[in-house]
Amino acid sequence: MKSTKFTPARKLTKEEIDRKWWEIGDFFRRNSLWMLMYCTGCCAIELPPAMTSAYDMERLGMGPMATPRQADILLISGYLSVKSLRRVIYTYEQMSEPKYVVGLGSCPINGGIYHDSHAVINQLDQYIPVDTYVSGCMPNTESVMNGFVDLMEQIKNKTANGWVKYKENNEWYKSNQKAALGEVIIHDEFHE
Amino acid sequence: MMNSMSNIEYVKGLIDQSFKVLETDVIDQYQVSFVFKQADVLQVLVTLKNAGWKQMSYLSAIDWPDEAKFEMVYILMNWERAIHVQIRTKIDRNDPVMPSIITVYPGAKYYERECHEFFGVKFPGNPDYEKQLILEMWDDIPPLRKDFDPQAYSDRKFTKREYNQDYKILSEDNKLKEKREARKQRAQSLKGGQKA
Repeated sequence: MKSTKFTPARKLTKEEIDRKWWEIGDFFRRNSLWMLMYCTGCCAIELPPAMTSAYDMERLGMGPMATPRQADILLISGYLSVKSLRRVIYTYEQMSEPKYVVGLGSCPINGGIYHDSHAVINQLDQYIPVDTYVSGCMPNTESVMNGFVDLMEQIKNKTANGWVKYKENNEWYKSNQKAALGEVIIHDEFHE
Repeated sequence: MMNSMSNIEYVKGLIDQSFKVLETDVIDQYQVSFVFKQADVLQVLVTLKNAGWKQMSYLSAIDWPDEAKFEMVYILMNWERAIHVQIRTKIDRNDPVMPSIITVYPGAKYYERECHEFFGVKFPGNPDYEKQLILEMWDDIPPLRKDFDPQAYSDRKFTKREYNQDYKILSEDNKLKEKREARKQRAQSLKGGQKA
């Protein structure tokens, strides 16, 4: 005869407990995303309507953040010149984990109309991992909002793990950065 | 306040009386351009600055590879007489050297550095002209020269995204061509919702 006594719950392993805490964390995280906007290109013009009353990002729990260390999302809006890519990498590495990258427009995807420029990189995901791309030149505000919703979905499904990839494949990213930029941190008269 | 045509006359008179002008071009009522020999440029700038052209708006170069020349352009602005004056001079392209003008217009320091970076013009007299300003760790010929190929540089330096070709090129000898033409004509004939 089986005992009717209360059987204590199985002891969870550390991994399982961690996963549960991550799920709880992700729930709160995806409902309060703070964005660091790196407005390099023309797609930045889509952000004012997304932030203000027309589309009101705040209703998704998103807001602008002034410093990289307190932000969750690094938003790359538009083309990236070699010079600003250095600053982007620097900024990305300062952000605390977990961190997500959203690329707006066609320029971070394949260079867009700047595909043959001497100063503009062609593929952002060679240098830093990108979680969500919003294509279009420029994308309209609905698709920008849709991109943010997609990112929230990805965080929920645990597929927004670009920052994990950056840690795991750090050497590959670093070698790509070196090939295109020569050196990431520049020492010149303005940065001494 | 003087009207703009007499302003043009004024600057022309001022320049003509003391310098040998190779070419004068009145672009519109607010802009006039003069071409000088390289040796005259600094003296012209001093004269114009004393006459009220206090602001140096821009300094750049134009590449003329067929003539093997760089054309230096200095654009000056006078706030009392609304005239932009362009001072132009051609210098050798193979060994481009242009004396610095920072003794006359100190603000030209950064323009000269930019010009050196993008065209390779040397500016003796400017202590920093060789320092990098905009391009960082540049490793090719100056990029705004006409013989620089940005496409080749970009292909060499930056990874390109590769795409699968998931479309079909419809060639002329395709046997579906007739069908296509017929469909096109039918679409034409139905234009505006009316049968022709």
